[in-house]
Amino acid sequence: MTDLTQNISSPAEISGAAMKLRQAVMTTEITPNEVMAVFDSWARSLDSRELDDMPGIVFLRMWLRRGTLEPIITRELGSNGLHGGWTEYGRAKCKAFPLGVVGHWPAGNVEIQPLLSMTCALLGGNAALVRIPSGLVDLTRCLMGKLVQSDPGEILTRRIFMAAFEHGRQDLHEAMARAVDGAMIWGGEEAVLQVRALPFPHWAKLAVFGPRISVAAMDAGAWGNPQERESWCLRIARDVWQFDQQACSSPQVLFLEKGNGQSTAEFLPILRRAFETENKAHPRQTIPAGLTSAICQARASWLLKDTAHQAFFPSGPDWTLLLGSGSDLPQPIQGKTLTVLEVDNLLDPVSKFDGNVQTLGLGMADPEKERELALLAGRKGVDRIVKLGRMHVFVPPWDGVDLVRPMVRMVRHVCSKD
Amino acid sequence: MQQFDDKIDRVLSMAPYCQAPDERQAGLLEILKEELDYACQRHAGYKNYIQHWPLDYRSAGQIADLPYLPVGMLKANPPLSFVDLGQIKRTLTSSATTSQVPSRVVLDLPTTRRMTKGTAIILRDFIGPARRPYLVVDTPGLMGNGNALGARGAAIQGVQPFASATTYCLGLNDQGDLTLDRDKLREFAKDRQDTELLVYGFTFILWNHLVKPLMAEGICLNLPKARILHSGGWKRLQDQAVEKTLFNEQLARVVGCSTDRIVDFYGMVESVGVIYPDCPEGNKHAPGFGDVIVRNPLTLEPVAAGETGIVQVCSVLPTSFPGNLLLTEDVAKVVAYDGCLCGRRGISFRFAGRIPKAELRGCGNLQINRSPVN
Repeated sequence: MTDLTQNISSPAEISGAAMKLRQAVMTTEITPNEVMAVFDSWARSLDSRELDDMPGIVFLRMWLRRGTLEPIITRELGSNGLHGGWTEYGRAKCKAFPLGVVGHWPAGNVEIQPLLSMTCALLGGNAALVRIPSGLVDLTRCLMGKLVQSDPGEILTRRIFMAAFEHGRQDLHEAMARAVDGAMIWGGEEAVLQVRALPFPHWAKLAVFGPRISVAAMDAGAWGNPQERESWCLRIARDVWQFDQQACSSPQVLFLEKGNGQSTAEFLPILRRAFETENKAHPRQTIPAGLTSAICQARASWLLKDTAHQAFFPSGPDWTLLLGSGSDLPQPIQGKTLTVLEVDNLLDPVSKFDGNVQTLGLGMADPEKERELALLAGRKGVDRIVKLGRMHVFVPPWDGVDLVRPMVRMVRHVCSKD
Repeated sequence: MQQFDDKIDRVLSMAPYCQAPDERQAGLLEILKEELDYACQRHAGYKNYIQHWPLDYRSAGQIADLPYLPVGMLKANPPLSFVDLGQIKRTLTSSATTSQVPSRVVLDLPTTRRMTKGTAIILRDFIGPARRPYLVVDTPGLMGNGNALGARGAAIQGVQPFASATTYCLGLNDQGDLTLDRDKLREFAKDRQDTELLVYGFTFILWNHLVKPLMAEGICLNLPKARILHSGGWKRLQDQAVEKTLFNEQLARVVGCSTDRIVDFYGMVESVGVIYPDCPEGNKHAPGFGDVIVRNPLTLEPVAAGETGIVQVCSVLPTSFPGNLLLTEDVAKVVAYDGCLCGRRGISFRFAGRIPKAELRGCGNLQINRSPVN
């Protein structure tokens, strides 16, 4: 079986791999339909019990389905984009062509991100040169093994090269940057800034998905509804648990709008139970000591600061709810630490957003208020406004940009004959 | 307060490393609970923290169940205090090697008294009770700054009860850098080949300002009966790749003693009065008026012998600030929960470094108020 994930030690290995990838793109064109056929097969091969415990596997299976991808392709590449055809716009017609070799620098904290990023480039007909963060090599190798089995004709696999090397190998990062025509860059501030500074060719297109945080918010009609409270709380817990609250789409704070004379005292114990339930279903397997220390510190700091502050937490570092009031965004802690703040009006915290907030997860009973919030949030830099429980659903536009289109060239043809 | 003050004095009057672990646990647990009661009466924020602890400390059956405070909380300014301003006799500050922000702990008279006594009791167990000439590898200026005392000054002072006369052998040059005063050193060492002596310095200061200059000049002080104590940790020597074995060999060579006369001890300003010298087996021990719990980062439960985790230090000595149950930022391995070959009872452990500082990770690693968008 071909192993698509290689341990790299020299720049020459990268430039050699990139040359082969470019050749693959130049010699054969593939349509999104063909790509999706392989993805469908790959998704089926991932549907096995042995893989069920792999982080993100359920999500990856869903993402690879034709039903998920078709509408995205149609929206981003035009009505004939699925077949790689030209789509007419008046007298002109447009068709997506691949950039060539797309380099991927995924974040090290989202297990399936190397694969998600790669799929975006492949759907555009590109080849993918993916740097695998050290901590994700085994998992990636395992999942890519399933792709190899699902792609006997090597339709996709000859367009993929997964390069495993240490984060600190600047020479290899530079070799990768020099060899690509486009790049998808994901991660935290430091990582993103470092990758952006690499020596990309002047024509390379970069899609950067940098550090953001996300926020959850509910109006009193939602959190105060006894029939729906539990379901909302489970949704919030799910959003906090995925990716260990390290993703840009992870909620760090939940704003609860006061109203109807109701007290959050009834809602918070339900949220606490939801966290306990989620923790039981998905307990942490490991944790850096520094994060444990930061969680302990956050709990102590919160409760020492103000005697009106409350908190719920177990004796371990598993999860933490910090309760108080105010409309300022608190400093994110991560590690399943959610700050819950009561506000008089949800417009107050949203009006303070400064472009750092990516996703606003909402639980709203009042549709008019939700429209008002969405409008304000959009103006204040929020890129995604979704229902609580769906904050991580990877549907473009993501961070306000499409996922496939940035890695293609839309070629416009106006026929020379009138 | 008088009630548990007497109890603390009773614990301090006992031999520090002789009690069986269970016996020690029961005695300390009772005092620590009373100290928590007292602390809650004295500080509303601290009470709020203690009240939210998942287990009620009053029903705790072991020290490990009591609420502990992350040591970083002692970086608060003004410092967390359980005493009125007028009762504060001294404020100690940590060296802040890692975070740049020092911890500040306030000492009232009873805590100061216990701190001095605690350190002396521990040191006596390791170096004997005799007073002897004391060479401080540092400057005297550290001691004369009103009511404020840094970590180096506190450590120098901790050894003072064993000094018959004290000599400081470092000074400051015009640029404010430490320099070795060779005349004072020579004077101190003169005709003392057969004299029991004490030498103390911070680990990195001993290396940079005593070992390195004397090595460069090929000088040996010829003090075979010197007992050298050092503390402060190894972080500042990491860049020079100086490890314990090399340090001990070179230090012993310039002083002219054997390496077994060098004792590395761990102490932190935040846990005043308790220090952890290496025993002859290379382990550290908790004295009878304190304990050490090493917690698994995944569960925060105490680890099994042989395992590594986050260090919590416990001490009944401080009552003027919340320093009796502190989760540190250090990592240690538990060697055994009793039965060290050196004969000291209770936990034996070894430090394994600092916890790497937690940084926000992944694409959500954003510090608020840093990005000027919009």
